[in-house]
Amino acid sequence: MNGESVVFWVSGTFAVVGALGMVVSKKAVHSALWVAFAMVNIAVLYFALEAPFLGTTQIIVYTGAVMMLFLFVLMIVGVDSSDSLLETIKGQRLLASLFALTFGGVIVASIASTLSSPSAGLAIANAGYGGHLQAIGFLVFGTYLFAFEALSALLITAALGAMVLAHNERWTPRKTQDQLQKERTFSNHVTPLPAPGVLARNNSVDTPALLPDGTTSIESLPNAFRGEGQVSKSNSIEEAGK
Amino acid sequence: MFHSQAQGDLGIFGNDPAAVIAVKVLGIFVIMVLMTLLTIWAERRVVGRMQMRIGPNRVGPFGLLQSLMDGIKLALKEEIIPKGAHLAVYVIAPVIAATTAFLTFAVIPLGPQVSIFGTVTPLQLTDFPVSVLYVLAIASVGIYGIVLAGWSSGSIYPLLGGLRSSAQMISYEIAMGLSFVAVFLYAQSMSTSQIVAAQEPMWYIVLLLPSFIIYTTAMVGETNRAPFDLPEAEGELVGGFHTEYSSLKFALFFLAEYVNMVTVSALATTLFLGGWRAPWPISLWDQANVGWWPMLWFFGKVFAFIFVFIWLRGTLPRLRYDQFMKFGWKVLIPVSIVWILIVSVARYLRNEGGLESRNLLFAASAVLVVVVLVSYTLDLRRKKSDEAEEQRIAIEAEQEFDPFAGGFPVPPMPGQVAQPSRRMKATISSGAPASHTPAETTEGN
Amino acid sequence: MKVSVEYQALAPIIILLASGVLSVLVEAFIPRTLRRPIQLMLVLASIVLAFAYVVINATAELAGDPLVNGGQVKGLRELAASGSIAIDGPGMVIQGIILLISFVAALLLAERQIDPQGDAFASRSSTLPGSEDERQFTAQGWLQTEIWPLYLFCVGGLLLFPVSNDFLTMFVALEVFSLPLYLIASMARRRRLLSQEAALKYFILGAFSSAFFLFGAALIYAATSSVNFSTVAVAMENSSQDGLIIPGIGMIAVGLLFKVGAVPFHQWVPDVYQGSPTPLTAFMSAATKVAAFGALLRVFYVAFGGMRWDWRPMMWVVAVLSMVIGSLLAVTQTDMKRMLAFSSVAHTGFILLGVISTSAAGLSSTLFYLLAYGFTSVGVFAIVGLVRDASGEATHLSQWAGLGKKSPWIATIFALFLLALAGIPLTSGFTGKFAVFTAAIDGGATPLVIVAVVASAVAAFFYARVIVLMFFTEPPVDGPSVVVPSALTTVAIGTSAAFTVLLGIAPQPVLDLVINAGLFIR
Repeated sequence: MNGESVVFWVSGTFAVVGALGMVVSKKAVHSALWVAFAMVNIAVLYFALEAPFLGTTQIIVYTGAVMMLFLFVLMIVGVDSSDSLLETIKGQRLLASLFALTFGGVIVASIASTLSSPSAGLAIANAGYGGHLQAIGFLVFGTYLFAFEALSALLITAALGAMVLAHNERWTPRKTQDQLQKERTFSNHVTPLPAPGVLARNNSVDTPALLPDGTTSIESLPNAFRGEGQVSKSNSIEEAGK
Repeated sequence: MFHSQAQGDLGIFGNDPAAVIAVKVLGIFVIMVLMTLLTIWAERRVVGRMQMRIGPNRVGPFGLLQSLMDGIKLALKEEIIPKGAHLAVYVIAPVIAATTAFLTFAVIPLGPQVSIFGTVTPLQLTDFPVSVLYVLAIASVGIYGIVLAGWSSGSIYPLLGGLRSSAQMISYEIAMGLSFVAVFLYAQSMSTSQIVAAQEPMWYIVLLLPSFIIYTTAMVGETNRAPFDLPEAEGELVGGFHTEYSSLKFALFFLAEYVNMVTVSALATTLFLGGWRAPWPISLWDQANVGWWPMLWFFGKVFAFIFVFIWLRGTLPRLRYDQFMKFGWKVLIPVSIVWILIVSVARYLRNEGGLESRNLLFAASAVLVVVVLVSYTLDLRRKKSDEAEEQRIAIEAEQEFDPFAGGFPVPPMPGQVAQPSRRMKATISSGAPASHTPAETTEGN
Repeated sequence: MKVSVEYQALAPIIILLASGVLSVLVEAFIPRTLRRPIQLMLVLASIVLAFAYVVINATAELAGDPLVNGGQVKGLRELAASGSIAIDGPGMVIQGIILLISFVAALLLAERQIDPQGDAFASRSSTLPGSEDERQFTAQGWLQTEIWPLYLFCVGGLLLFPVSNDFLTMFVALEVFSLPLYLIASMARRRRLLSQEAALKYFILGAFSSAFFLFGAALIYAATSSVNFSTVAVAMENSSQDGLIIPGIGMIAVGLLFKVGAVPFHQWVPDVYQGSPTPLTAFMSAATKVAAFGALLRVFYVAFGGMRWDWRPMMWVVAVLSMVIGSLLAVTQTDMKRMLAFSSVAHTGFILLGVISTSAAGLSSTLFYLLAYGFTSVGVFAIVGLVRDASGEATHLSQWAGLGKKSPWIATIFALFLLALAGIPLTSGFTGKFAVFTAAIDGGATPLVIVAVVASAVAAFFYARVIVLMFFTEPPVDGPSVVVPSALTTVAIGTSAAFTVLLGIAPQPVLDLVINAGLFIR
């Protein structure tokens, strides 16, 4: 067994394990990690197939950018969200696996039937270009130049779409740090508002702070606790003293 | 038809006997660990000097063994794993961070061909046509260490730290990758050894100064170092992604950070400072670029970068997060793209045999620098004028000074005069000695 | 090595994509209040300019091959951009149809008088439905002008799709026009959750089908070492690797049949047509279908032409299923937009008849059908957008009762469109169906034509039901009213109606045009 086939069997197995892990993981983050793992292993396979450019790009683009953004989003939307295992359509899982197995079987069988014919090989593909990298460069900026340029339209669309769907504009202008500072300076409270519970009998968030003159400060409470009947009562110095 | 013009030849790589490879791997590992220990020591000493104190000087000569002792201490500490941690990921994260940090160095050329045990071999573990991209790829895998550490700790501060660092590293990786493009265009290669070879006539720091500036800025962001150390902003996020890590696992993150520092410095050296090539006065000596000497020049340059890292940390305050991201996306990336455009035009003209492209390039970098500076000053001036206007209105609006506005003691605004306090009045009227004024008392302390 | 780009031949595509980029810059730098008029002018001007270029290219006196059609044929016939794009007669006809439809649909998209709150799109689609933000933006009269750059990119992609001459370019074109559609589909001003759900369904299923397309292309590449249609066609003749080629053809067919909305890949059609903003539905049901059929024709005539005995049975099944299921399910619908969506599925089946015949007549009749159906479809959805009550469009069938008494004009034009969809003589639908059926019978697909005629009869039932509902029932007391639109929609509906009638009464000039367009080049 030569080096290449060792790499193939190891990385190939890992890639399949990664793909399976992605499907069976219940946690979305774990799934994303499995995909990243599979991607890295596929990149290793590219390296073994003498396509280092594809390999590195695969890692940079898929592992480094795409899956990282996935993780990013997953972390923002919910750290611990797990899949619901409830079947919304009855028998869906059974049918889906049946179809998937049939489809996979047909594909594998038909591709396997062609394995006996020899492959063209890398040398022919790279011939006339002086190497793998130059060949890719020529294909991207030569033969498929128009498709490559059209891709920029796709990327602009994607960026624009992300902005349109996710970038929330303001209907009032945002206050600058400067303005906020000025507002605070000219308001009645230059210093930060007193924290709840300061100098009071206990320090829970619903206990208003006591001011130096012994009165309580409703402004020390978070908005949610300022309502009627929510403010803790027994907190003045007199009551504490009794 | 498509022959590369770079002088280097990649055929010399990949023929080493196993023993030499083992020596090289071990050598790189040892060098990296030693560099880390040295860098930590240097950082503490230099920052100490900058803060007018001495820094560690007890353990070993000049305190050189301090970081080694700290490492041993760290390893012996109790390991605390939070209850909410996702154990597998929690354990893997520091491993990913540390391993990827070491991997990058495989493609950094430390010197020309030398003889190891009778085998003539380049001072570089390996090289291939896209090795600089490989560095980028490994760096992007390295981010996983930090992000996963943040996520798996099961705690909010690390999570926020992890999120911040992933956003930061992805953003700055783009600028970093773009800064490479100009180098690729000029070296006509993406392999580190060929890039070094292509810098024989002139270092790219001269030819591609904007790229160099962009790269050095991005590399500080990429390594999460001050002033871009937002993921571990202790005032906001405790320790950031490694808040919940302790003992050896924490040590791994620590190690990774410093190894990364060395790696990005080494890459900067390779891409812009001529790699192992000797700097000018030394290069006149005809033995300067032969044998083992180049390793010295190389590490000299790397240490220069590391000194800058430490210097930055000693000097600059941390950026605010939104300003930092804005800087990355709205300054670094657009400037890099414009610069690449200029470089490609220059290359095209040279290939077509038209203008002498080097002068054009110098002119273009000058213009670019001027444009950036002008837009920056304009921006500053605009803000200033706004500010002045608002201040005028504000002062007009509030001339009366009430020292207890709303019951809280407040200082006077600009243009307002504070009335002396009653005690002050009493002091002045009674003719007490001036040494009792609060200001001098403070100074005396 | 020099890379040549044939700017003249590619001008329509380049114009659209470049003005898309320009339009993004308008979004970035022009004050909000000025954006809408500028964008609108930009869109209409670039479509007109692109159409002018198509006409110039199509009528150009060419020194080229005099053997084609005895030297009668005019116009460009060349492989552009290193052979990745084929500009030829059918390609240019399809580009022309797409541009005509896009112009009319742009008028619909720009309409601002139908909805009292603004145009058909959410004031800010980033706001949560029902939120304070949404209310504020709507009250302040904000408009989502970003639809225009998206629209331009979409039309550019649609133009590229049917003229792509290799699988890679075709895939890129597919994504270029799909992505803007997914986005705009989510932006309806009313019933926003429904619209967002539609967009998500469309996006996920669309991505899935694109993956099939790509997988198929990879298999074909594995078998033939090429993605270029002409090379693939030649390589397939001599290839023994059926194990790669047959699944490859099947998967590429899945990707393309999804885009045209044929059964069993039609599930997205009713939901997306119903949920999307109605002007977009009008555009999508017409232009996307035209472009996708253009691509389908090119792939199956040029690349897989030699394999027609292998893919014909599959297409037979798909065509029969589309016609039968589309017509039957349309009968059961109670929502106007869903009914029209299923009718569109049925029409996909009819058009597939032309594809299956794999002959010059099949090609030209398909082109004619696409033009006829495209305009009828735009018109029909334009009118659906006019019938409204307080909450937005009134799409339930019962709400349409007695419409002929309240606004006879609109009801009459709507009835005209429905008759055209049903294929009643003297409308464009009849001419199209007649041409396609004739081509299919000549191509040996008589059983299919019998199924098609039966399906047409079923379809005629539900079209007639709507007409009866409109003209022969009493209007409900608090029923919807027909809004009087601005000149934009009026022109759009008028154009569609004119095309529908003209193609029915005097189809000959257009039939000559599509026949003279000749065949695909290799």
